[in-house]
Amino acid sequence: MRYVVGYSANARGHDAVNLAVALARGRGASLDLVLVVPEVQQFGAAHAPKAGFETLLNEQARDWLDEALALVPADVPAEAHIRNGDSDAQALIEAAEELGADVLVIGATSTGLFKRFTIGSVASSLLHASTVPVALAPHGYHRMEALTRISCGLGTRAGAEKLLDFAVGMAANRKVPLRVVSLLALDGGKSADAAEAAREYAEKALAAASPVDPSGVQLAAKTDVAVAQGRSIEEAVDDLDWEDGEVLVIGSSRLAQARSIFLGSTANRILRALPVPMLVVPSGYELKHHNHSTSNDTSGEAPQ
Amino acid sequence: MSTEHVTAKASHDPHAGLSAKGLKAGSVGLIGAVVIGVSCIAPAYTLTAALGPTVAEVGVQLPAIFLVGFIPMLLVAFGYRELNNAMPDAGTSFTWASRAFGPWIGWMGGWGLIAATIIVLSNLAAVAVDFFYLMLAQLSGNPELADLTLNLPLNIATTLVFIALACWISYRGMETTKGVQYVLVAFQLLVLGWFAVAAFSHVANGTAFDATAITPEWFNPFAVESFSAFAAGVSLSIFIYWGWDVTLTMNEETRNPEKTPGRAATVTVLVIVVIYMTVALATLAYAGIGQEGLGAGNPENQGSIFAVLAGPVMGPFAILMSLAILSSSAASLQSTFVSPARTLLAMGHYKALPTQFGKISPTFKSPSYATIAAAIAAAGFYVITRTTSENALWDTITALGMMICFYYGITALACVWFFRAEAFSGARAFFFKFLSPLLGGVILLVMFFKTAYDSMDPAYGSGSSVGGIGLVFVLGMGVILLGVVLMLVMYKIRPEFFKGKVLPRGY
Repeated sequence: MRYVVGYSANARGHDAVNLAVALARGRGASLDLVLVVPEVQQFGAAHAPKAGFETLLNEQARDWLDEALALVPADVPAEAHIRNGDSDAQALIEAAEELGADVLVIGATSTGLFKRFTIGSVASSLLHASTVPVALAPHGYHRMEALTRISCGLGTRAGAEKLLDFAVGMAANRKVPLRVVSLLALDGGKSADAAEAAREYAEKALAAASPVDPSGVQLAAKTDVAVAQGRSIEEAVDDLDWEDGEVLVIGSSRLAQARSIFLGSTANRILRALPVPMLVVPSGYELKHHNHSTSNDTSGEAPQ
Repeated sequence: MSTEHVTAKASHDPHAGLSAKGLKAGSVGLIGAVVIGVSCIAPAYTLTAALGPTVAEVGVQLPAIFLVGFIPMLLVAFGYRELNNAMPDAGTSFTWASRAFGPWIGWMGGWGLIAATIIVLSNLAAVAVDFFYLMLAQLSGNPELADLTLNLPLNIATTLVFIALACWISYRGMETTKGVQYVLVAFQLLVLGWFAVAAFSHVANGTAFDATAITPEWFNPFAVESFSAFAAGVSLSIFIYWGWDVTLTMNEETRNPEKTPGRAATVTVLVIVVIYMTVALATLAYAGIGQEGLGAGNPENQGSIFAVLAGPVMGPFAILMSLAILSSSAASLQSTFVSPARTLLAMGHYKALPTQFGKISPTFKSPSYATIAAAIAAAGFYVITRTTSENALWDTITALGMMICFYYGITALACVWFFRAEAFSGARAFFFKFLSPLLGGVILLVMFFKTAYDSMDPAYGSGSSVGGIGLVFVLGMGVILLGVVLMLVMYKIRPEFFKGKVLPRGY
């Protein structure tokens, strides 16, 4: 298991390292800290040859990565890499694919003027383009202990079983309880019916997804279904209790369903309200991973 | 620390880090390199800014001076290339002069480079603002809007906004992309060509303002009235070629490092000389050098010649000229920010300035502190010049020519001194490492001292003065003196660099 961490030497990068450590512990994963250094272009720079600046930039990047490696506790193996690329998101996706990463971990908050209200541009491009699951660390995430519970956000759209498989595997591999949650943004009267329908759907999906192998049986006792509702996604998120060591697993198709092209804005709304990290699984991922795990069953989050 | 960490540390040594990036996406061919060269020069901007002041000095010998001005630039650029190959460094002139002459001269060389780029930033922003309002007037058909740029508080406020925007873009590490540069360069050349054709057809149709017949005398640099005028003209024409040297320094990023840089430099200079000659001749032939009306000798027109001439020459299409100059000066404003920022960064890195200057933004990977410092300096310089000068654009360009002569002169001589041991090791070394930079450096420093001396005359440049001394002198010398003071302050608070410990002489 390898997790690629998109590192930058700021609060966002620290959030990401902390979350990556938390994810790696209890799973025995190793970390690859990747720092993306922009390509220094000759276009658009007058009276300044690029060679020397590139050297300074790479020197600085190495110092930053040394600091980053020092943040990782000794029981978690970690390596550092410098990648050159114009787009942080693109370079991270390439690094994740090349290194065969199972998860890409990044800090989600924006460092811009409206820090508290938007997710960073790197995070939102990753949510549109990543081929591996992306874990988003919320602003100021400082926990490094192993996870204590996995929550899986479930919709009613086809393909949810795949997501649930992923979450079940994640919980089983870590031997932590799983909670299936439905986030309902409703207005007025129909809420009781909808909540009931959501609960039924979640339970059915869970029964279908629960594997028959020993770890799965063991897990069933620890699984819990929760329905949260509110006038908005934010209120629904507030409605639930969250453990410090919890992660919400969510499928990108689940998000895309609400507003197919404004994936980032829905993720943003959940993330803004969510006190714990979120792990976004690309819609095609589960299937690909299943095929993959038949040949190589020691890696991946899918149930084994 | 676990063993994994140890192996991990080994895995990101410079070579591992750099080898991972594979084929360079940004490698440039001949055309790309020429586009970079032309865009660094920004001909539409340099012509509108320098044509008027140069005519004021040398009159109809404008074409001659534009040609002669290239010679010292070429000589110095050879030395610049040698230094860049031997010591590629973000501090350029600062680092090279420190290595050759030690910390004090090195510091002043760096200061000269920073001052020159700061001055050009304020001028670029001001020219962009002039054409911004002119374009608004042309778009709306309301000529009064163009005069808004004459409203001092509004002009200063708009210029500061332009500087702040360019600073913000640079701070975010954003750069003008290749595609945009191609379009901007093509557009500039097209519009300048159009202007020249339109001006010549006015001359042919007898509708020119002051049709003047072109004579061979225009190309005779010895026909310039005095050495003072000659020196001032040359230091202005150094400015119009400033940025050309970049084509010579592109090595590893070109597809064919053996041949592309040399060819690109040659093609760039041919393109630039052709366009400068055509536009200079067209302007003189159309407007003459008279001091009245549209004449190129009219002090009112010196600050920005195309702002005045584009309308009468190009008619309704003058808006294209505004657009070309606005876009090229705005793009230059942003790309020029990179230069003082990287020099300040290098000076911070080598402990020649406070540590903060050496800071690279962890988020944007740009020289954050240095970029903001450069913006504040450019804004401050503009406010001071604008409020004290009758023609701020004219005087800043003259001061800028002086400053470029100063730091290029130091850089060229640094090359001579640094390579003194190998100067006579072969014909190539003798020519490129010794003779060219020596001649170029001496010429530029002579121009610098002559211009500095002449500019004490209160009538110099636009004729603004402070306490009976010419404003150009006050600006130029003030900036250099400020550098000396800051250098002494730095010596007090951070003496390491000045003891020659950080950047020792020689390799």
